[in-house]
Amino acid sequence: MPSRIPVYEIRNLKHQYNGAPVLDIPELSLPQNSITGFMGPNGSGKSTLLRFMAFIDEPSQGEIRYKGKAEKPFSPGVRSQVTLLPQTPYLMKRTVRKNVVYGLQLRKDAENAENRINEALHMVGLHPDIFAHRQWHELSGGEAQRVALAARLVLRPQVLILDEPTASVDAGSIRQIKEAALQAQKEWGTTLIIASHDIQWLHNVSDQVIHLFRGRIFGSGHESMIFGPWEAGEKGLWIKKLNGNLHIAVSPPPAENSVAVFPPESFRIGMAEKYPPLSFSPLEGIVSRLSLENRSGRIIADIRIANICLTALLNPEEAQQKGLYPGRQVLLYYDPYAVKWV
Amino acid sequence: MNFLLDGFLKALELLFSGDPETWSAVSATLRVSALSMLASLSMGIPAGFLLGYKQFAGKKQVRLIVDTFVALPTVFIGLLVYAFLSRRGPLGDLQLLFTLPGIAIGQTLLALPIVTALTATAVESMDRDLRITLMSLGAGRKQLFLSTLWESRFGILAAGINAYGRVTTEVGISMMVGGNIKWHTRTVTTAIALETNKGMFDMGIALGLILLAIAFVVNLSLSFLRKK
Repeated sequence: MPSRIPVYEIRNLKHQYNGAPVLDIPELSLPQNSITGFMGPNGSGKSTLLRFMAFIDEPSQGEIRYKGKAEKPFSPGVRSQVTLLPQTPYLMKRTVRKNVVYGLQLRKDAENAENRINEALHMVGLHPDIFAHRQWHELSGGEAQRVALAARLVLRPQVLILDEPTASVDAGSIRQIKEAALQAQKEWGTTLIIASHDIQWLHNVSDQVIHLFRGRIFGSGHESMIFGPWEAGEKGLWIKKLNGNLHIAVSPPPAENSVAVFPPESFRIGMAEKYPPLSFSPLEGIVSRLSLENRSGRIIADIRIANICLTALLNPEEAQQKGLYPGRQVLLYYDPYAVKWV
Repeated sequence: MNFLLDGFLKALELLFSGDPETWSAVSATLRVSALSMLASLSMGIPAGFLLGYKQFAGKKQVRLIVDTFVALPTVFIGLLVYAFLSRRGPLGDLQLLFTLPGIAIGQTLLALPIVTALTATAVESMDRDLRITLMSLGAGRKQLFLSTLWESRFGILAAGINAYGRVTTEVGISMMVGGNIKWHTRTVTTAIALETNKGMFDMGIALGLILLAIAFVVNLSLSFLRKK
């Protein structure tokens, strides 16, 4: 039975680098034993936030509560429970076995160590007989990443934070890393926090996906972002010209180069005759990808319009009724006033 | 050109016949360099580690001074140490002038900035993910400190070897502070300088070869500590 106390509660978190704001999260709560995905472009603050949640660094302002208690780096309450796998893991200059056992030695936890080391290496698909005595410089990039993950898994952590775990490894390693992380969550109830550009994977495995952009949270990750510059159009709307004489109209932006964020609910897919004409023209596009959002059972439809891609969510029945398939031409109806600005 | 070849052959003869004067200089070199390296490593490694590891006000300025001291001329160190150890100097009562410990003091001043600066560089150039990795595996402050020191061991080793090279090959300090006294403070390098002045190239070349051999043995014995 999952505990009701959230594993993390973040309040009024703000952080600056050299005076420039990089994170601004008024409130965020993550339940225990859950899987949370963080997505967002490079520089959106994901890695910084994950380092705060791993209690490696401290934010300029705000509070991070772990299981109801405000914690800081080096707190005994979190040191043995939370672990982070950084994007480019560092292996210490020693053998694979010594790298994996390092965390156990720090905890002076020698109980059943040999079995746990073997178990962790097996979980990441590295056979102990072959890899345990290899030196750190005798590993490929994917193997090094898996050894680094094994060094975390051997600790059976309460919280496992993965920062772009599959960003620069081969396909085989990606599969092993994903499986090992999910196995930890399933077998030990480990809370997983994953930052990744693999949006489809995040939506498949996560209980919630959080979209970070310019240090702020923007919903579930299905939001479509359209970058400026914007030009004044007709009827008080502003437009962004797309390739092929198309344009998308929006409510007046706060600045010429603002970024428009459309939530998926602001789009409707259909044929012209099925929806009453609105005061603005729908966009013509083609379905570029259909995928399933596991936790809700909804269908994620990516619609390519000229040089941009917009995302809508549908019920499975609706998708079936419309006969959607990748490559199908559709009309995308939208509300220009549903846009949020960044 | 024959004198060079003759010198080389004579050098081999001196080396293998166990010439007492030659081996006296070798012994003085080994003893004085061991003393000065012991002192400079025991002070320079902690100082360099703190300089590279810790953030503090004025760090850049301290670093600049240490880096400048790396280029200290040996004759200048010799002059300073001579002035301090001479009878009129503030440390004259210690009677260390023209002794091996006196030379070791000067050589320590030569090696200390090298060990400190190169250790600081080794620690500074450690991957920034090392700290994240150690902390995320549960390291406390003390464990973070010790593990970082251990991880930078190859850079620190290089600092030690570099300093040892400078110490065993310097002439200025040994000549000025030691006085090049036969059977007493004559080191390999001061002997080379003297023998060359006397036109005794064979002895000079023999001592030069011994210096190279010492460097080779030291590096060989430390090579097992290296990365690959």
